[in-house]
Amino acid sequence: MTSPVIRRLAILAMAAAIPALPLAAQELRIGLASEPSSADPHFHNLGPNNQLRRNVFESLVGTDEAQQLTPQLATSWEPVGENGWQFNLRTDVTFSDGSPFDAYDVIYTVCRIPGVPDSPSLFTTYTGAITGFEVPDPHTLIMLTAEAYPLLPTEVSTFGIISARANGVDGSTIAFSPEGCGDLNYPATQAFNDTTAAIGTGPFLMESFRRGEGIELVRNPDYWGEPAPWERVTMLPLTSEGPRVAALIAGDVDLVENPPLQDLERLRGDETLRVVQGISNRVIYIHLDHEQVPSPMIRGVDGVNPLQDIRVREALTIGINRDAIVERIMGGVAVSAGELLPPGMFGAHEEGDLPPAVFDPERAQALLAEAGYPDGFGITLGTPNDRYINDAQVAQAVAQMWARIGIDADVDASTASTFFSRRNAFEFSAYMAGWGSGTGEMSSPLKALLATRDPDRGFGGTNRGQYSNPAMDDLLTEALRTVDDDARQELLRSASRMAMADFAIIPLHYEVTPWAMRATIDYAPRADQYTLPYDVRPAQ
Amino acid sequence: MSVSEQSPPVAPVAAPRDRWRTINLVAGLAVIATLGILLSGQSIAQFPARVILLIGLVVLAAGLLRGRAHKFFSGPSAYFATASLLLLIVLAIFATELSPQNPYDLRQLDIMDGRLPPGSTTFDGAMTFHLGTDEQGRDILSGILYGLRVSLSVSIFATLAAMVIGVVVGIYAAWAGGRIESILMRIVDFQLSFPSILVALMLMAAFGRGLDKIVIALIIVQWAYYARTVRGTALSEARKEYIDAARGLGLPAYRIVFGHLLPNCIPPLIVISTVQVANTIVLESSLSFLGVGVPITQPSLGLLIANGYGYMLSGQYWMSMYPGVALLAIVASINMVGDRLRDTLNPRLQK
Repeated sequence: MTSPVIRRLAILAMAAAIPALPLAAQELRIGLASEPSSADPHFHNLGPNNQLRRNVFESLVGTDEAQQLTPQLATSWEPVGENGWQFNLRTDVTFSDGSPFDAYDVIYTVCRIPGVPDSPSLFTTYTGAITGFEVPDPHTLIMLTAEAYPLLPTEVSTFGIISARANGVDGSTIAFSPEGCGDLNYPATQAFNDTTAAIGTGPFLMESFRRGEGIELVRNPDYWGEPAPWERVTMLPLTSEGPRVAALIAGDVDLVENPPLQDLERLRGDETLRVVQGISNRVIYIHLDHEQVPSPMIRGVDGVNPLQDIRVREALTIGINRDAIVERIMGGVAVSAGELLPPGMFGAHEEGDLPPAVFDPERAQALLAEAGYPDGFGITLGTPNDRYINDAQVAQAVAQMWARIGIDADVDASTASTFFSRRNAFEFSAYMAGWGSGTGEMSSPLKALLATRDPDRGFGGTNRGQYSNPAMDDLLTEALRTVDDDARQELLRSASRMAMADFAIIPLHYEVTPWAMRATIDYAPRADQYTLPYDVRPAQ
Repeated sequence: MSVSEQSPPVAPVAAPRDRWRTINLVAGLAVIATLGILLSGQSIAQFPARVILLIGLVVLAAGLLRGRAHKFFSGPSAYFATASLLLLIVLAIFATELSPQNPYDLRQLDIMDGRLPPGSTTFDGAMTFHLGTDEQGRDILSGILYGLRVSLSVSIFATLAAMVIGVVVGIYAAWAGGRIESILMRIVDFQLSFPSILVALMLMAAFGRGLDKIVIALIIVQWAYYARTVRGTALSEARKEYIDAARGLGLPAYRIVFGHLLPNCIPPLIVISTVQVANTIVLESSLSFLGVGVPITQPSLGLLIANGYGYMLSGQYWMSMYPGVALLAIVASINMVGDRLRDTLNPRLQK
């Protein structure tokens, strides 16, 4: 136990000593808002895990702050033939155990992904399209798909490459089959967690991974790119908002993820701190039940589902004052949404082309009366209360606004795990949730949230409102086959416009992700909300 | 020492005592019935139901203190605690009439009035928020009054129901003895070996939110306390002469248990149940604070505190602080009244 005075003196002494040290010797301490469930890059397709993975394991294709694709382990890629993509790999890359990186490591990785034991969420979403490989030379890789598949470069940016040689496998002997490649001495998830298998090509090496305590990374001295600016990175799980901010203010950490909105004003006023924020790829939306008659959480109607009437859906959409929610509940740290992906991202409309629905309570009431509900009806809005920024408050504000257009609205808020299992059982007539576009383009939310449910094609996986519009499905299917970027973008925009004109779903706002840090460092906000120490730089 | 001197065997036919017992019984039934009506959300006869509730509670208290009032009011703190408890109960019971806004009616809220400091008015000046508003534009004063009502009624109802269950189980175990007693008491031990907040959290996670569900969860985590206490008291009472005398008279078992044994087990029950009401309020507030209690559109004190908690660091203290003060006041006054009751009713402390 050190006395506060001594600790303060020590901090002062450290603060005085830091400028004297060479920059490269510095340590970066990060307060994480949510903790990775594992250090295994393929165990759990979850934001915090993917964020951690990018420090140690790299993928063929990288993504920049706006989720645009950038070269990483592949220097370039182009479509070949009818249904293939050729990736030209870097020749100067070695794994941290010294083994060289080549095309066979990619095949080994894709082989491991479907068979990770006990995985809560596999990466097969992103490898499922691959039907075969061709390896003309060890640094050229051709991935084959069943049909033309424009999203392949985006999808290979989501999983990290592990080494075949480090696990005692000669990659050239692997017989790849989408059903599985046999037993190839895959490292166990536990081996990644105790760092013995944490052998990657990334800018950092994993020194320790202890759940609940923290993660320590050290600089990879043999990194092929520019060396990381930090000798050592410590990531502390500080999942409660208050302690996270307090740790930053007290100087225990240098950077925190997601400082709570209500404290941003205060943090901005502090000259020793810096707050950056950027629009994220996550939209908060309300999904409506298009299918069940009668719908489970609608009251005061006789055996019909009023949400099947487009006038009712429009009334519910224009009855919400998005700007008020953004200003009052989100503290200005959000952007009103007109579709499912913010302007500037692939497949989204340009700023102003598809603006958020205009708040018009009078017209909403008129529409309800026209649809035969002059006195409204009762509806319960389901929401998680610990998943999205101020989620339960936003849902309550929506219920408040619906109440004002004559709907007897109330809110059913529950913890995320309960909420999602109830949602997946179609217990809600209307529910609020969020969708972050993992691929950073429009096909992700359209495919997951609005395409007609079809498990075989992976369509409508999260379409728990059971919306179905064959014309939109066709546009989306066409887009997913179109390799030409401009044509694909136009198809995606048309599909999005069609769904919005049908009031299929009610977009509320795009989350804006804030980071707070010492004024001596800087970080460019990322749309995918990841905090990557490699990109945290000393301020200019 | 002989306890029977202090708590004499039930007198054969004592008219005034019988009258009080009937009055107390009626008052208790009225309290439970009206609480049930109010909790089930029936809007019929709301105001009369609340008046009956208040009268019932006062009568119960009067019956309890009959003949012992001077001992109960032996110091200023007793007057103070009783007055503040009575005030809070009246505020809670007549929240509908007293509060400037119905904080549970979403139509009366406007998020544009959100997070206003105490003393602000609405945009058109129609209403003043004396204690400020939370982020939904809910008047904190109204929220506290309604929240007090939720907290108090949920706790009193859950405590009474848990007490009934506990008493039945405890008396039955003591009277039946043998294997039945062992089984029942092992269940009680098992239940008491878990922290009640943990059990309640798990139950609420399984049930979902709702007033009815929180009452059920609170009953489930509380009945065991009463069962254990009642069994202990009943065991020691059952060995006394007046029970033997009753047996000797050939009275049927139910008359011995309910007419003789049970009334003599009541005093310790009253003491724990008073303290237990305060505990239940804290438990309910904790559950709501943790986000598994009452529906978010009908906040109790705990949920009001939770809603404002995130704004404490940013200086918007009123959202959490005033509901916190109200919670403190109600729990403290119940505990003080409970302490006085214990001193008044416990024969061992009589000197």
